[in-house]
This record gives sequence, C-alpha cells and structure tokens, in this order.
Amino acid sequence: MGLIRNIFMTELLMGLKIVFMQMFKPTITLQYPHVKHPIPDGYRGLMSLLRYEDGTERCVGCSLCEAACPSNCIKVVSDEVPGQPLVRYAREYYLDITRCIFCGFCTEACPVDALAMTKVYEAAVYDRRDLMFDKAKLYELGERYLEDGKAYLTHHRMDDGTLHPVEGLGDNRYHFPAVDAEHGGVQPEQIGLTAEALEVEETTR
Amino acid sequence: MEIGSMVAVTLVQIAVVMGVVLLTVAYMTYAERKVLSFMQDRLGPMEVGPWGLLQPIADGLKLFFKEDIIPSGANKIIFAVAPIICLVPALIGFAVIPYNGSFTLFGLEGGGVISDLNVGLLYIFAVAGMGAYGVILGGWASNSKYAFLGGLRSAAQIISYELAMGFSIVGVLLLSGSLSLVTVTEAQAGTWFGFIPQWNIFLQPVAFVAYVIAAVAETNRLPFDMPEAESELVAGFFTEYSGMRFSLFFLAEYGNMILVSCLASILFLGGYKAPLPILEFIPGFVWLALKTWALLFFFIWIRGTYPRVRFDQLMKFGWKVLIPVTLANLLVTALGVYIYNN
Ligand code: SF4
Ligand code: SF4
Repeated sequence: MGLIRNIFMTELLMGLKIVFMQMFKPTITLQYPHVKHPIPDGYRGLMSLLRYEDGTERCVGCSLCEAACPSNCIKVVSDEVPGQPLVRYAREYYLDITRCIFCGFCTEACPVDALAMTKVYEAAVYDRRDLMFDKAKLYELGERYLEDGKAYLTHHRMDDGTLHPVEGLGDNRYHFPAVDAEHGGVQPEQIGLTAEALEVEETTR
Repeated sequence: MEIGSMVAVTLVQIAVVMGVVLLTVAYMTYAERKVLSFMQDRLGPMEVGPWGLLQPIADGLKLFFKEDIIPSGANKIIFAVAPIICLVPALIGFAVIPYNGSFTLFGLEGGGVISDLNVGLLYIFAVAGMGAYGVILGGWASNSKYAFLGGLRSAAQIISYELAMGFSIVGVLLLSGSLSLVTVTEAQAGTWFGFIPQWNIFLQPVAFVAYVIAAVAETNRLPFDMPEAESELVAGFFTEYSGMRFSLFFLAEYGNMILVSCLASILFLGGYKAPLPILEFIPGFVWLALKTWALLFFFIWIRGTYPRVRFDQLMKFGWKVLIPVTLANLLVTALGVYIYNN
C-alpha cells in the first residue's frame, strides 16, 4: 500500500484537489477604499471635543487630560470665561496627533466628558502640520462626528448621563459627585457615596 | 509560390505568433495572480479596468518607466546582454511550433507553422539550452552574491533536468518516428475505438508526468524555484536588475513556460488535433491554445499548492528518480515499438 501511495504520489494529488476546491469558496477580501468595515462603538479614532446641547463648550480647562496623557501631546491654556468669574474654559487647546498613541486615557481623565474619540481612522495628510490639532479643529471634529463621540463615551461607560441617559452608565468616569448631581446625571448613591459623605464634601467646599 | 509571397507569409506569421505569445505572457501574469488569489480566498488585482483586466498593461507601462540601475562593479556589457540572451531563446523556440494544420487565407497558403524543421525538437532543445547562459551571465555580471548563487543554482538545475526532459520525449519520438513537430502532431490524429484520441499521453503516461515535472524545474517555477527562492536569495539571478531589463527576464521566464506547455501539448496531447472527429470543425489553433492554457493552469495550480523543495532534494529527485524512471520508460518503449513493428 505504502509503495503504491508513493508511486502514484497520492498525497500530492490530494493536496492538489484541496487547493482546487478552495478556488470555488467565497473570497473574504473587502475592497477597502470602496467598501469599509463597520467600526465598533468603542473604537479609538481621532480625538474630538464636544459641546453641550446648548452649544457651550464642555471643556472647563482643568488640564486633567494633559496630566493623564502618557505621550505628553496635549497642551491646555486655561482661562476665565469673560464676564463670568469662577467659570473657566480652555482658551487654547492643542493636541499633537502625530504623537498621540490613541490610548484614550485623556477621555477617561476628563471630568465633564469633553473629550471623545471618533471612528475616523484615515488620518493620513500630505502636511504633518495638519495633524497638530488646535481647539477649532477639535470642536469641528466633535460637531461633525457627534454621534461617534457619544457612542464612544457610552460604550466605555464614561457617560455622565447627559449624552445618552441610560441607567447605570458612567461607572468608568472620574466623578465629581456634586457636579454629577447638579447635572442630573449619576447619583452619588450609585457609586457608593452616601448622603452624609456628600454633605461633608459640600461643606468643605 | 514565388519567393516574395513566401517571405511575406512568413513575416506575417512571425508577427502574429510573436504577438499572440507576448499577449499570452501578459495575461499569464494576470491569470497567475487571479488564480492564486482565488486559491487563497483573495480577489487579486481589481482596480485597473473591470476585474483588473488591464493590470498587465499598467504593469508593463510601469516597468517601462522605471529607472534602469546598473550596480557599481558590475560588468556593464554582460549585464546588459544577459537579459537578451535569456529572452531570445525563449521566443525563437516558437518558430517550429505548429499551431494549425495547413490552411489557405486570402489566397495565400500557410503551413500552420513558421518553419517546419525536420529537426524541430532538437532545435528547440538547442536554443533553450542557450537560455541558461543568460541566467548564469546575468547572475555573474551583477556583482552580487545573491544573484551569483541564483545563477549557479539555475545552471545546475537546468542541466540536471534537461537530461530527464530529453529522455522523456525520446519515447514519443520513437512512436512517431520523427523529430519534426508537424509529423509528431499528425501521427496523433485519429482515435482508438472511436472515442479515445490517439494521443501519446495514453501510450506514454510515465513520460508525460516526467516531462511535466522536468518542465516545471526547467522553467524555475515553484516548487522548484530554487534559483529565485525569494526567502533566501532575494530574487535570485535578477536581484540587481530593474526596469526594462528586469521585465525582459520576466518575459523570458513566462515565454519559456508557454513554450514548454506548447511542447507538452504537441508531444503528448495531440497538438492542434481535435480530441474527437466530431469536434474537428473547431480550428486547430483553438485546440492548441486550450491544451496549452490547461497546462499553464496546472503550472499555477502547483505553485499554489506545494512548498519549495530543498536544493539537495531537488538534485536527488532529478538524478536518482526522474532520470532512471525516464530511462526505464525509454527501454520499455523501444522494446514495444520494436516488437510492434516486426
Ligand atoms: S489618546 Fe492617549 S496619547 Fe492620545 S492624547 Fe489622549 S491620552 Fe494622549
Ligand atoms: S480634562 Fe476635559 S475639561 Fe479638563 S482640560 Fe481636558 S478636555 Fe478640558
């Protein structure tokens, strides 16, 4: 038997048959620029800055994202909102996408859900300077890909309840309990804070 | 026929045959990429033209406009001549390939072959042997270790497998009693019992298998592509070539493939003869093209199937298996023909 198999090279012929049959199986190629894969909600694409429904900028210029960024690519210049003492905003905001590693730490650090990542992954440009995003560019991205940003925050459970008011969301975000309560978002009890603790915090402020 | 019209007919034939061969080379690259892709669940070239059909033209234009680089330290003259030495034998072999029976077109008589040499097969083997010089010289002249090693391997391989190839076709020559490819084809006309075509493959199956294996090795195709094993030698003997010179080597490789496939279909599969008498209304060159393309598909098919063999396995297989088997086959055939004729 073994000799016959060797003489007629049955194994080689079997290999040929398998490869031939494979030709008629459906291909799995995606014609990329014409057809695109659906991107999941949690996808970490280009960064964007979001606004509240009424159009005010979410970012309060706290620089927490700057502190959280492992590759030091964020620069926030914080300032007071003119005519509104104690209310701050980011006068200038720079994000160097050429250095960004798309880790998403900045979005997690942001206490007011101002930063969100979109599903944009085709970031190639002819001039690298176009990848130094400034505030205007980031807010423009946020406007254009608002739904992506919201979906991102909801997916990563960072939603403070003002984006997609879903019960129990937001356990991944950094919490300023008082701010949350004011915005009608996550309640202190939901994250294990009792009313007394909240009281203490209020008074110490 | 007067001499003028004879020359004209021959020139037209040469032009047509060369055109068809070069077109086949171009679309062979396309077919290879497509078939391999489908074997690997891919789509292959899709962007240039519908289903990527214009890809060979785009590739040709690209190669045409590429910079021509001659490496420093290379022997410039031999470096420039080597691709031509490689290409010419691959193309002039087609002069003796009969692509049709005799026919009359516009009142002129064509033999269905550019030149019916009575030593046609010897002629093909003689010129094909010259192709090895192009490979060796190209490898040597480019002043690069990889190219040189590729050239050496190629030479060793071509010499060992040309023997087996030669032995495998002697059986066919014994059966048809001629070296002229037209006579060989004509000897395969007709059928046995009315449905089995009188092709040599049924009388010489062992020789056919040996010929195909040797042909794959001769043309440096996978799984015997040691001379250009890209994982070891970058690209083998044409590592240092670029632009047009590179494409000449490429043309030569594919031209050789088509030539050996044509030869196989003529020697073993009845050439331009229809398999059954009822199919004879289809012109001969269609049959030859069909048979050749089937063999070319087989070339691609085994490329998609088998991994590359080691160099020592290659040599061992050539000398210790293929040559003894073809010799034994030759002996049996000779005895058979002797007994049959007496
Ligand atoms: S994604 Fe990571 S690297 Fe990029 S800006 Fe945010 S924190 Fe920095
Ligand atoms: S962490 Fe958020 S609010 Fe603070 S500066 Fe960064 S983006 Fe603005």
